[in-house]
Amino acid sequence: MSDFDPVRLEVFKHLFASVAEEMGMVLRRTGYSPNIKERRDFSCAIFNRSGKMIAQAAHIPVHLGSMPLSVAAGIEAFEFSPGDVVILNDPFRGGTHLPDITLITPVFIDHEGEPDLLGFTANRAHHSDVGGMTPGSMPLSHELYQEGVIIPPLKLIDGGEINQGLFDMLLANVRTPGERAGDIRAQIAANQRGATRMGELVDRYGRPQIEEYMRGLLEYAERMTRRLIEGIPDGVYRYHDFMDDDGLVGEPARIEVEVTIQGDEAIIDFAGTSPQRRGSINAVYAITLSATQYVFRTLIGMDIPSNSGCLAPIQVIAPEGSLVNARSPAAVAGGNVETSQRIVDVLLGALSKACPERVPAASQGTMNNLTIGGWDNMRDRPFAYYETVGGGMGACPGMDGADAIHTHMTNTMNTPIEALEFAYPFRIRRYEIRSGSGGGGKHRGGNGIIREIELMENAQVTILSERRRFEPYGLAGGEPGLPGRNILIKKGEEKELPGKVSCEVEAGDIISIQTPGGGGFGEKSSRR
Amino acid sequence: MDGAKEPDRFPCEDPHRIDFNEDNVRIGIDIGGTFTDFVFFDEELRAFYTYKVLSNPLNPAQPVLDGLEALDLKKPPSIIHGSTIATNALLERKGARTALISTYGFRDVIAIGRQVRSELYDFAAHRPQPLVPEELRLEIKERVDHRGNVITPLNEEGVKDLCESLKNLDAESVAVCLLFSFAYPTHEKTIARVFREADFFVSPSCEILPEFREYERTSTSVINAYVSPIVDRYLQQLKDRLEDVDFRMMQSNGGSIRASQIRKQAVRSILSGPAGGVVGAFHIAKIAGFENVIGFDMGGTSTDVSLCAGDIRITNEAEIDGFPIRIPMIDIHTVGSGGGSIAYVDAGGALRVGPQSAGADPGPVCYGLGGTEPTVTDANLVLGRLMPEYFLEGRMSLDSRSAQSALEDLAEQAGISAQSDLSRSQTAALGVIHVVNARMERALRVISVERGHDPKDFTLVSFGGAGGLHAAQLARALGIPRVLIPPTASTLSALGMLTADAVKDYVQTVMLPGTTAIEKLETLLEPLVDQCLDEFQQEGISKDRIILQKDLDIRYEGQGYELTVPLSAEFEQNFHDSHMQTYSHSSPDSPIEIVNVRLRGIGGVPRPPLPRAPLGTEDPEEAYLGQRPFVLIDGSVSPKPFYRGDQLKPGHVLRGPAIVVYKDTTVFLPVGDRARVDEFFNLVVEIGSET
Repeated sequence: MSDFDPVRLEVFKHLFASVAEEMGMVLRRTGYSPNIKERRDFSCAIFNRSGKMIAQAAHIPVHLGSMPLSVAAGIEAFEFSPGDVVILNDPFRGGTHLPDITLITPVFIDHEGEPDLLGFTANRAHHSDVGGMTPGSMPLSHELYQEGVIIPPLKLIDGGEINQGLFDMLLANVRTPGERAGDIRAQIAANQRGATRMGELVDRYGRPQIEEYMRGLLEYAERMTRRLIEGIPDGVYRYHDFMDDDGLVGEPARIEVEVTIQGDEAIIDFAGTSPQRRGSINAVYAITLSATQYVFRTLIGMDIPSNSGCLAPIQVIAPEGSLVNARSPAAVAGGNVETSQRIVDVLLGALSKACPERVPAASQGTMNNLTIGGWDNMRDRPFAYYETVGGGMGACPGMDGADAIHTHMTNTMNTPIEALEFAYPFRIRRYEIRSGSGGGGKHRGGNGIIREIELMENAQVTILSERRRFEPYGLAGGEPGLPGRNILIKKGEEKELPGKVSCEVEAGDIISIQTPGGGGFGEKSSRR
Repeated sequence: MDGAKEPDRFPCEDPHRIDFNEDNVRIGIDIGGTFTDFVFFDEELRAFYTYKVLSNPLNPAQPVLDGLEALDLKKPPSIIHGSTIATNALLERKGARTALISTYGFRDVIAIGRQVRSELYDFAAHRPQPLVPEELRLEIKERVDHRGNVITPLNEEGVKDLCESLKNLDAESVAVCLLFSFAYPTHEKTIARVFREADFFVSPSCEILPEFREYERTSTSVINAYVSPIVDRYLQQLKDRLEDVDFRMMQSNGGSIRASQIRKQAVRSILSGPAGGVVGAFHIAKIAGFENVIGFDMGGTSTDVSLCAGDIRITNEAEIDGFPIRIPMIDIHTVGSGGGSIAYVDAGGALRVGPQSAGADPGPVCYGLGGTEPTVTDANLVLGRLMPEYFLEGRMSLDSRSAQSALEDLAEQAGISAQSDLSRSQTAALGVIHVVNARMERALRVISVERGHDPKDFTLVSFGGAGGLHAAQLARALGIPRVLIPPTASTLSALGMLTADAVKDYVQTVMLPGTTAIEKLETLLEPLVDQCLDEFQQEGISKDRIILQKDLDIRYEGQGYELTVPLSAEFEQNFHDSHMQTYSHSSPDSPIEIVNVRLRGIGGVPRPPLPRAPLGTEDPEEAYLGQRPFVLIDGSVSPKPFYRGDQLKPGHVLRGPAIVVYKDTTVFLPVGDRARVDEFFNLVVEIGSET
């Protein structure tokens, strides 16, 4: 047991969480793109001076374990001064995939007349275009350079002065510069708000107490995680599953894990996982960490702060150069969104052997990334649209899986149909639950979604999706969910598209995305 | 508990303020979970009445009828009435069996929602089931584009077929929500006509919310279809018995509406009780001289907070039980902590409070009704801040010893040891208060600082039963300089209803560039103005009493959220300024987009006077109850004065530390705070600078 006061622990938990949430509110409200405002594809967090994450607002799980690596990369690159803001998206230097742009702002507190570093505020937002070979920047690439503009850690604002050259350079490399500029400004404002609030907390409680409870909360989250692991029977649990393909070669890629539970610690070893691939399904280490933290966080079943302490009792071993710890300049666009989901699937699969009463069957296991771009003649401007489509949730040991919902590593909203048609040359033809797609069982897996978009202009369409071949698994005798489908409807004729595809379509063509169902749980015969 | 007791009477000694000269006596009635409250002003006797009877959840109309009978009025009154009928129908899923008609291909919009889960890390936290079961989600072939052009026409024969098939599905109520119906309502209107002819209750989205975003519009229309028939039956029951009575209902937007209209639009009354509380709190504070108010309504299981910066703040983004409702409502932020919230120690060793609550049954440990887990109320009792013999007017005896032992156990689990002057249970109790206050503080920050308001410009008005013990401490933590506790905290909601204006809200999505001429916007508003004046006329409110407020929802082109600014020649500048104030940045060079036009019609009603008396002596001797020890914020403990709230007179001054015991709430004045009773019997606490 620590010496931290149980009351202050809880009080500071609220205070820090409140700062991170307020940052999220600022970002959501001031952001420009539907991606940030409507879909809320972003995360905000605060950090101590050594870069440990203290609190993250509950936004997007895939950012969980990866944000601290961004701040670490910032710290490594720079000596921070007051008024600085560092920007980055390089997956091999603190990022995950290029559309996720992270901004880091140091928080300085006056110490006897001199500014002294207390910590950082940071936020990461998914930008709907960062250049590269296809609009939306989620291409079927085979090296990073094709995926968009690469931003190593750089000072976007240096001592209060914006680096206009850098900003202009960035905007010159993206398809929708006005939107990018607006979103980045919103990101700066969110960090600034967080920094102001941290300063106010120091004024109120004094710096020693703030720092003490930053540490206290890290230890607290660590204790909670240790309690959880302690409750899992000691042993070695293995599981593997497959990615359909990498979008270039039809061959599946294997993800394998061995989870060793020993007392209150866990070792997660991904030995046996396929080497990194030429296609864009490679995940950097940060993503593997995020997925691991997510899985343990869900099993705790209690509301604890999402901070770096959660990972302290867990060692994550990912072979370098593999699908779960790719080396530069691997293509990574899909690693963040697709491979992350499969990492969760194998971790849960392994843990289901240790504690079957707590682990749900596989959920849809993909985000069904859809990007469409081109020139909008009616509005006389270019357009770049990106969104992800929900699917079936895996059945839980005690209940059916939810239909038509985002699961595991993402939780982004859909764009309203009426908002889409106001903004883009689209007509949505269908948006419905894909009935019968959930796996049968004592508890049924959730059903996927059917979303059909008719293009009113010629456009380039890119789909990055998974679970089109390897279905989401059931557990305890439950049936697997139905795999997803991508269909191009041209003049009434259906053509099956691969899971990962980039193609030119014509005005009048319809793209139909049918997302996977979740796996069932328990024997179907025992369903009441 | 006693039902029909004598009304409380508050004399009004200032005859000049009495300008309440309508023909009928107006009565505010709030049906709450436990009591049905009546508040009215008797012109002849120049007095204010409050009156309570026990609520009857099985037959909510009965206490209203009983109460009115007991009041024995000489002529039929006007009643402004708030109730939880619609709320309960929704929360308990006891609404009408409702069907939904959607554009072909979109029947599941209502079930998919925004495709997100409410809890990121909890597999078991499922979305609520849609209010419309799968077999009643129907589609019709038709399609309109975003400009309102018909792409696929509606076939009326098809509508008739659909209507026939619905008759066999045992539905009572029908919501209709077609894509882009706000731009071209004809299809919805056709469907509504056919179904109304077949005697269904119909709620077309173009009538309740002609605004873009199909899921939110569908949800609002469905909730309306779901609750309206229930509210309609209830009102019919009252009307059968009280033919001559002019019935009005409180709406969630803080205004009243004639009952005959709410029967078709009951979704507008869904938060009528809490709305009445905010209106009442704001009214009282305004008369007391405070225009900027933070409302703090801390009850047993939850706490509602609200903010009024010169005016009551309205939101168009409310959500109830996971369902969005996009009609204007008073912006109330609710957190699941209150006096009954349970304290416990979690696996990581932190002391947590709530969201589990002991509720009213079994209630806190000290109620002696079987509760075993310590609550916030138990903590306050152990700290000596409650006076058991006066708690809820002495109707409830409090068991201090069992509360103490529950907190002792909590201290044991948390590893809390006795601190200086305090016992172990008192130290733990103090911790519970700190933690619950941290939760409350977070809620208060959400509605103030997060929305760009500085708490130092506000007065905290505390009106929930559990709030008085926490308000001053919270005000100090947030830098709020003042707390106001009204003398009739528990009937404030009914008072709010009595003072509420008649209000009507209208919206229309237009999606126009920011360069649109103001004349064109005025033209677009004309149909709404006509409708508004027409509906007011039906309510018997004449044109000269109506104020029309015209607003625009504006955003920067491409943004996903709008800000509402008044329609005026300066709307562009006002939008940039408002953006700056709300989000601390603006882009005056970026093009803007006018998303919606809004109209609010306000039919003012004369306000009844508040009980008032001239300021007298500062010495509160007559209210003095003696000294008892209680624990202060810093953990020190010594005998300090207790006062009886209902004996306090205008002019009295109290200095903290002290406790004031009212019938329905207890107020804790920490060290350094100074309270005076103003001429309206409010306790106005000035927060001292000491901490």
